[in-house]
Amino acid sequence: MDATVVYNIPHQQGLQVFIAIYFYLTGLSAGSFVISVVAYLLGKTEYKPLGKIGAFLAPILLVIAPILLITDLGKPMRFFYLFFNVNPTSPLTWGTFLLTIYPISCLIYLYYVLKGNQKMIKTFGIIGIPLAISVHGYTGFVLALAKFSPIWNNSLMPLLWLISAMVSGIGLVIFVAIVMEKVFSVSLAKFAGEMSTETSTGKMLAETAASSTGVMPLNEMLGGVGKYLAGFIIFDLFLVFSEILVLLTESEEAAALAASLLTGDYSFLFLGLEILLGALIPLFLLLHPRTSRSLAAQTVAAVLVLIGVMTMRYIVIIGGQSVPFN
Amino acid sequence: MSKGEVRYGMVIDLRRCVGCHACSVACKSENDVPLGVFRSWVKQVEKGSYPNVRKHFLPSLCNHCEKPICVRNCPTTASYRREDGVVLIDYDKCIGCGYCIASCPYQVRFINPLRGTAEKCTFCQHRIDNGVVPSCVNTCNGRARVFGDLNDPNSEIAKLIATQPVQVLKADSGTEPRVYYINPDAGAMKGGYGPDSKVHLERGRNWSLSTTEKGRE
Ligand code: SF4
Ligand code: SF4
Ligand code: SF4
Repeated sequence: MDATVVYNIPHQQGLQVFIAIYFYLTGLSAGSFVISVVAYLLGKTEYKPLGKIGAFLAPILLVIAPILLITDLGKPMRFFYLFFNVNPTSPLTWGTFLLTIYPISCLIYLYYVLKGNQKMIKTFGIIGIPLAISVHGYTGFVLALAKFSPIWNNSLMPLLWLISAMVSGIGLVIFVAIVMEKVFSVSLAKFAGEMSTETSTGKMLAETAASSTGVMPLNEMLGGVGKYLAGFIIFDLFLVFSEILVLLTESEEAAALAASLLTGDYSFLFLGLEILLGALIPLFLLLHPRTSRSLAAQTVAAVLVLIGVMTMRYIVIIGGQSVPFN
Repeated sequence: MSKGEVRYGMVIDLRRCVGCHACSVACKSENDVPLGVFRSWVKQVEKGSYPNVRKHFLPSLCNHCEKPICVRNCPTTASYRREDGVVLIDYDKCIGCGYCIASCPYQVRFINPLRGTAEKCTFCQHRIDNGVVPSCVNTCNGRARVFGDLNDPNSEIAKLIATQPVQVLKADSGTEPRVYYINPDAGAMKGGYGPDSKVHLERGRNWSLSTTEKGRE
């Protein structure tokens, strides 16, 4: 027999919208850093301009992100307590130290990228990759260890968070590259090389970089990166699919949440924005032979995945609290 | 009996609960809980159709879990568990990050809008440390709420748990709650809200008060 609730108190949200935006920004930062290092380390000189863009984006985003975290606190002035009253079992404590070390390592990396010192780029790239993965991975654990909502409290969350970070990171780097070249008419080949010519060590590299990027037009280069982006989108879609499928059978509350995403209040955001606009359309644009090398299509795809991943963060954080748990 | 062996808990005997909300009121007044937030509340459900209708009640509060996930996840060690099992928050250490709210499976925590720090039921620690029962227990006119030492076999609470079938809420949460219910209704234990209420509220915040110490400390 069904029981009708006639009185209950409203509860406060577990995580608020600032946290969703914060997760988005760390994801963007980690994603662009990984792309930057991959572009430099794989020795693919034609991708160097993207590597440099990523190296700039990573620390900038990571400076904005903690400001959101601090303003979200009930007691913002007490944020520094995090460094003195340490609780090793709390993912927020891990985050405190990661958020301190990672931007520093990003800045050192950026410094050597500007210097064109290939050896140090490699060293700090290799140090930075696990840090970048941890700095975004810990936010996945923040969710996975929180028992407020069944959509958070599952072991898929950290991986889903990381893969979507890669999607948004690549999207942002592509978008910035197009804006720089087309809107601000910066020659990306020169951009990749200009700083490094100032130092004698980087001179040779810069010249090879400039010459090889010179022969590769922007849309060709982005078409190549777009293939990786498409791969990550497919992986991301698979994880979201698994998540929803399991939610549907996990518990009554989880099923109610899944229903809210599929047919309820969040179905427009989830199916319309996140899945269709944020993943399927970009996937088509990036893979179809007629659009994959068109700059216009690449711009649209990059903007759409950026919107899609932000929507996904919003749906998981805010939509994840759209049914009563108590 | 030494302090370390005491293990506080509560039994809520729903055969005796009349749904008067006196505990919610007593808790509010005893602990100066601000408007809009509650340390304890009584959920009501209705079953059946006229003339066979029945109301069921579920008074809720912090479960003072044996393995409190809120304490495990608190980044500043502001949330802690005393040796006697009472889970408390140090308001001088808490930064109001709200991660404990996101961690607790029972949604018994909130950010105090005046103080800016997390808050929840304290088992009326100021009363029990002085040998008086918590305010909600004291006020309950049906004597449905029983507070005491779970480890003392002669206490009323230990006897109740030993002789009656008891339940805890969301037993699968893995936090080992220490608030036990006798005769709870399955519909009341599930998540649910009345027809008109919003699901989860944004945390109220009074900036001027939250950054200074004007709130009640
Ligand atoms: S009920 Fe929630 S707040 Fe209370 S001890 Fe358990 S996990 Fe912590
Ligand atoms: S709000 Fe306070 S008690 Fe809760 S997790 Fe944050 S610092 Fe700890
Ligand atoms: S024990 Fe005290 S703080 Fe806890 S619900 Fe009862 S009156 Fe409120």
